Amino acid sequence: MTAAAEQEWKKGSAELLVLSLLEDQARHGYDISKLIQLRSGGALSFHVTSLYPLLYRLEERGWVNGRWVEKAEQRRRRYYSLTAEGRRALRAQRESWKGFVAAMGRVMGVENA
Amino acid sequence: MAPLKMSAAAAADVVEELAQHLEDRYRELVSGGMDEERAYREAAGELEELPALGAALERRHPMERVEAAGETNAGTWVEGVWSDARFAGRTLRKNPVFAMFAVLTIGLGIGANTAVFTLVDTLVLNPLPVAGARDLVSVAGARGKSEAKGDETLPLSYLNLRDLGRGNAVFASLAGYTGPRVVTVEMGEKPERMFAELATGSYFSTLGVRPAAGRFYGAAEDNDAGAVAVMNYATWQERFGGSREAVGRRLRINGVEMTVIGVAPRGFLGINGVFGPDIWVPAGMAERLLPNEMGDVLRDRGKAEFLGVGRLKAGVRRAQAQANLEALAGALARQYPEVNQGRTLTARPIREAVFGSAQAQPSLITFAAAVLLAVTGMVLLIACSNVANLMLARAAARGHEMAVRMAIGASRRRLVRQLLTESVLIGLAGGAAGFGMGIGGLELMWRFRPAEVAANLIMPKLDGAVLLFTLAVALATGLVFGTMPALRATRVDVGESLKEETRTMGRGRSRNRAANALLAGQVAFSFVLLAVAGLFLRSIGRAYEIDPGFQTAHLAVFLTNPGQAGYSEARTKGFYKEVRERLAAAPGVVSASWASNVPLWARAVSGLEVEGRVKRSASDTVTAVENTVDVGYFETAGVALEQGREFTEGDGEKAAPVAIVNEKMARDYWPGGDAVGRRIRLPGETGDREIVGIARTANYTALAEPPQPCVYVPLAQKYWDAMVLYVRSEGDPARVMTAVARQVREAGPGVLVHGERTGRMVVGDGLFQARMGVGLLSTFGLLALGLASIGLYGIMAFTVNQRRREMGVRMALGAARGDLVGMILWQGMRVVSVGLVLGLPAALGVGKLLERALYGVGGQDPASLAGAAAVLVLVACGACWLPARRASRMDPLAALREG
Repeated sequence: MTAAAEQEWKKGSAELLVLSLLEDQARHGYDISKLIQLRSGGALSFHVTSLYPLLYRLEERGWVNGRWVEKAEQRRRRYYSLTAEGRRALRAQRESWKGFVAAMGRVMGVENA
Repeated sequence: MAPLKMSAAAAADVVEELAQHLEDRYRELVSGGMDEERAYREAAGELEELPALGAALERRHPMERVEAAGETNAGTWVEGVWSDARFAGRTLRKNPVFAMFAVLTIGLGIGANTAVFTLVDTLVLNPLPVAGARDLVSVAGARGKSEAKGDETLPLSYLNLRDLGRGNAVFASLAGYTGPRVVTVEMGEKPERMFAELATGSYFSTLGVRPAAGRFYGAAEDNDAGAVAVMNYATWQERFGGSREAVGRRLRINGVEMTVIGVAPRGFLGINGVFGPDIWVPAGMAERLLPNEMGDVLRDRGKAEFLGVGRLKAGVRRAQAQANLEALAGALARQYPEVNQGRTLTARPIREAVFGSAQAQPSLITFAAAVLLAVTGMVLLIACSNVANLMLARAAARGHEMAVRMAIGASRRRLVRQLLTESVLIGLAGGAAGFGMGIGGLELMWRFRPAEVAANLIMPKLDGAVLLFTLAVALATGLVFGTMPALRATRVDVGESLKEETRTMGRGRSRNRAANALLAGQVAFSFVLLAVAGLFLRSIGRAYEIDPGFQTAHLAVFLTNPGQAGYSEARTKGFYKEVRERLAAAPGVVSASWASNVPLWARAVSGLEVEGRVKRSASDTVTAVENTVDVGYFETAGVALEQGREFTEGDGEKAAPVAIVNEKMARDYWPGGDAVGRRIRLPGETGDREIVGIARTANYTALAEPPQPCVYVPLAQKYWDAMVLYVRSEGDPARVMTAVARQVREAGPGVLVHGERTGRMVVGDGLFQARMGVGLLSTFGLLALGLASIGLYGIMAFTVNQRRREMGVRMALGAARGDLVGMILWQGMRVVSVGLVLGLPAALGVGKLLERALYGVGGQDPASLAGAAAVLVLVACGACWLPARRASRMDPLAALREG
């Protein structure tokens, strides 16, 4: 993926990516960035300067909720979890993403994209 | 963060989160095998798009922006301090070892200061626990201008004092009091000793104190029928368990039934605030209670036993009181010239009377207090520099964190504030710990005060001033040890720090220079303290070898007071004789005799007349120590007779009056060596005495004092109702003391026997100052040394860590382990030698200043200096050796891989 394409991709889909990673469990920022990198096989990666503003934006919007968790023998970390509103938003975005991908596939003649 | 103007708490959160993220990334890269520099650049590289972050943050916190720059942002400031404090708390919790060490180090330093300040506060700043002490002045006599000797003050007679009370225009009230006197109290089977102070009826009202129980006496009871007593609070607690029934209790004091009518407030020991009485009794009781000491004291204008204390009328200043007193002194001198000629009166601040009438004491105590404060201040500085060193080391480690914070827009001021909050927090925690340690240490020290006078001695008191002092010191300490590391830690060029290749080496060097300079200073100071402690220690050792002119190895002394048990003159004389005879037959006793003076406690009297001596003026009198002694005294006390004869049974009441003088007196007044056969007249006597012998000059008032003249008089020719028993033992005097005391009590039922001591203890008491010096200086010296070695250890351990790779290379290239140990030791000891070289002239200078307080050693005693240096080098070697050993044991390959 070229740099320009990556930028475009991020704008459209970063929110969906983060929300879906938080669907099962609360995660901290570094964990989120690691998972994106891991699951994408290194193809996708976030920089600090874009990941955290995104998280803060989602929090502002009321979709995620960040809170500090302290564990013994460890530094405290900020964990983000989905709010009920966030879940609704995730469902809606996922539906529209699926529709978008299906439409793309049909146009481009690719099955099961 | 500053340009964003978001709340401090929010900003701190964002910074923490981002910093963590970068650190996680960095760690992962390193553990994946990337070298530290690259990993660091990689992680920090993520901050490239900072403007975007800033914009995002600005969008996020629109509500929390401060409205306008000019308006007050106090709320933000307070919130900021609070969040800084919380953040600092978290940082410290993450480093419990560092935090504990820092708090403990600072605590020790502050503890020493709190202890000393409590003493200063108790003794110098606020010694008299009465309301409005500012308006109290001490009224005493003084010599007129022509014969004045410095600040010497003289006691006043009861009659003069009474006239002053009536005639003055400046005092709302004026009272008189004496020093504490030994009295015999009959309680239970054996008589007990108490200290009683005579005080006039206006004493308590003038001072404005309130009784803790019962009441005080007033002018109506200040006469010879006023058999009432007011008890000291501590005495009440210790002897009567603080029971309410003690008030109203009758005590038989010197044979007089006295009723306890009240208890003085807690902590009040009278104006002689350092050593107070057990009871106060009306001055009017003087002659009934102490007929011998105080006979005629209420009627004879020449008998001066009182000191005055006056409360100034509103608006009157001390200078006005002084002028008024001088005028009154003139009137007294005209009216009663025989006793008041050439005398004047002084009005001094009451503070100057707190240490009794002894001259120059207040300034001495103030000086000692200043020295102690300076010493403990230096100990605290050592503690500060240790913690500063540690923080510098941490600052190096936290360079990344600082760089990240500055990269995302934190101002330097903001970061310095954050770091200072951390050090002030350590300072405050250290202050709390130090307060506990200081007070605890002081109380521990006070437990060692002689139990027999525990109730009479001043207690260190804790008041608001001590708390305030500790708080101020704690705050200042936090700023002192925090400022330099904070400035250094934030002096990072963001770009450079993020790129810098040799970050540990480059900054490490200059960091080490600062640390080494601090360390050399610590060593120098520890050296001075240890050297001076060594001087005092050697001086004490020597002092026991000093020949005081009397024997101490086989000597025991006992104070007795038959007069106070109601014994008549004849019965008292019989008692003296019987004790001597009983003891002559007692096993383990070589001889026994009586003397009026306690060894090393004599006071010189003036007014002697010497045959053939021409007076230069009316006031030109001869001064000498006077000692009334019984037969056998010279043998028992071990005072050699140089010429003539001893007193014998033949020198009785009816025989020709005789005296023995010491060599000093003989040489001073009869330089031709013909003193024996000459005549002298003692003050208060009407006839002359013939000199029959010359005794060796001894020490009378202090150990190693300059020689002073002394006159001995036979007991049979001069009656005293209280005498000191001298016993010469065959072996250790301590072994016969109980038996001797029993014999004395059997010979004199009801007679108070107290103050029993061996000759060695007598000398020890005389060394009190020196022993205090050793105790305090060794404590602080060892504290300073301990702190300095911990600092040395820390620096060496840090250096070893820093140079791991270099040493790995050296070892890989074939350097022996011993060489490495040598290298590290050399590096540490170089700093120590610089400290020693700096400390030497200081130690020599301080020694010179103290020379007068030392016995038998010079102020520049090489043994003390060498001893202090040896202790210091030994401890320092240990502190360097531990890290050196660790360095030599490391695996060179591992070190190279890690590096």
